[in-house]
Amino acid sequence: MTSANNALKAENLTIGYGERTVIDNLSLDFPAGRMTAILGPNGCGKSTLLRALARLITPEKGTVTLGSDNIFSMDTRALARRLAILPQASKAPEGITVADLVRRGRTPWRGLFSAWSEADAAAVERALKEVGLTDMSERPIDQLSGGQRQRAWIALVLAQDTPCLLLDEPTTWLDLTHQIEVLSLVRERNRNQGVTVVTVLHDLNLAARFYDRLVLLGPNGMVAAGSPQDVLTEENLMTGFGLSAMVLPDPITGTPMVVPR
Amino acid sequence: MTVKMNAKMTAGIRGGLVLAAALLLAIVLSLMIGQIRLSVSDLWTGLLTGKGPGALTLRVLRGPGVVTAIGAGAALGASGAIFQILLRNPLAAPDVMGFTSGAGLAVVCGVLAGTTLPMPLLSAAGGLAAACAVAILAIKRDGTQVPITLILVGLGIGFLTTAGNSFIVTRLPPEQAAEAQRWLTGSLAARDWGHAAQVFGCGAVLAVILAIQVRALGLLELGDDLANGLGLRSNRARLQLAGTGVLLAATGVAVAGPVPFIALMAGPLGMRVTGATQPGGRIISAAVTGAIITVLADLAARSIVPGLQLPAGVMTGIFGAPYLLWLLSREMDAGDI
Repeated sequence: MTSANNALKAENLTIGYGERTVIDNLSLDFPAGRMTAILGPNGCGKSTLLRALARLITPEKGTVTLGSDNIFSMDTRALARRLAILPQASKAPEGITVADLVRRGRTPWRGLFSAWSEADAAAVERALKEVGLTDMSERPIDQLSGGQRQRAWIALVLAQDTPCLLLDEPTTWLDLTHQIEVLSLVRERNRNQGVTVVTVLHDLNLAARFYDRLVLLGPNGMVAAGSPQDVLTEENLMTGFGLSAMVLPDPITGTPMVVPR
Repeated sequence: MTVKMNAKMTAGIRGGLVLAAALLLAIVLSLMIGQIRLSVSDLWTGLLTGKGPGALTLRVLRGPGVVTAIGAGAALGASGAIFQILLRNPLAAPDVMGFTSGAGLAVVCGVLAGTTLPMPLLSAAGGLAAACAVAILAIKRDGTQVPITLILVGLGIGFLTTAGNSFIVTRLPPEQAAEAQRWLTGSLAARDWGHAAQVFGCGAVLAVILAIQVRALGLLELGDDLANGLGLRSNRARLQLAGTGVLLAATGVAVAGPVPFIALMAGPLGMRVTGATQPGGRIISAAVTGAIITVLADLAARSIVPGLQLPAGVMTGIFGAPYLLWLLSREMDAGDI
């Protein structure tokens, strides 16, 4: 399942808004079938990088490849069958149900006039089951709790059934229990189907627990990329966040745990 | 599709039946009431035999006007729903944003200039010009557009075109001025089958185009990033949908004049009755509701003051203006304005 065709690769990316250069000549690998978290302080370009990986913004220089294809020259629908992105803080249309929302995730697989297929139904059912909303599928989104709502949005991109999944701060606004819930179900999809996952995250300790690889961006570009042990060091935290902290092994998982001084 | 009948769907079907019954009732009442009052049996006899006062009413006196009202109302209602979904704001309607008065201005100018261009073309050109003006003026410094800015700029363009219309009316000889004023208020008096055929012909073509675009509308309302991620070219899709919306509004204006507030009210009212939440259902509910409002407004306009034929737009204005004020105050409370 984890073919190299699902690896994302940023090459010499330079992205700016007007005068301001947000990302300067960045090259990064996002290996196929692995979970990578992008970390860093506010305004360091985390979301910008993710949006470029999903072709939502066009870089000034450089390119992004998915497998052997340059995503900027791919057909829109072909890309949508291979790569899904859940942007930050989406707002559901008034009154629509969980199932209505999740079904729209099937769009790239449907012809303009083709009927709803067995495969579509199966993908939606599977996505709802993975996020634990099967019983609530006919409930309007606006009646759900914050955690359930976020799971519904994740189900939408899971129904899209792509081997590559990008998530922009999927745990913001959620309490700790729900943050863990959301990251667990993403990891489950990754482990079961070998999906490549790239996520922008704020919480360093959760990132270390759930992700195989971390990318730390600082105010002056990339600080480090690699395993959680390699990236979450006291020195890197100082460079990236200007944060003075101790890094201890997490007593439960043994992954690095950041304790600010 | 393996979806079981659930409470929401049965409610939707019930709502659809309510709308259909209301439309039928509005049509029958509109055919019965007028200077000559007819009974249901008169109409029925006229429909079956083609003879008697019922037949004359159906064929000449009221039939064409009612059919035109249905078409114009449906086109305006559908147009309103498109913009309300697209901009995710109940204030976003072609009549609030000046598209219908832009279409009206173009028609009046064209007629006065003695052009031989057909009315729908003039109306479409005016509507599109107004929409382009709004879209361009609402661009922010960073190149983006925000729905509420589009709506407020649209209100401004609306005032401007209305002022243009008023100016033209003052320059006309009295008889022509009265006629132009009546048309600009929105009127369905003295429509013939040509008008009815025109609005249904143009409307049918646009309905087919809209049916192709409706899935894109469902993606755009999730936000541009997600829509792009799902394989939609969102900028192009939004332009196409806005184009269809403007042309639908222009189709209605070409036969009924810029009747105010139908496009604004039809969407939310129809949605309330049917409970539709998907774009397709919302547009159909809005079209049927728009038809009902227009038929009833025309009926009220010609029967409320005996012997006096008011323009239908006066009636929609009486109900529409307070509704707009209520919506505005609600949006202000929500902090969106």
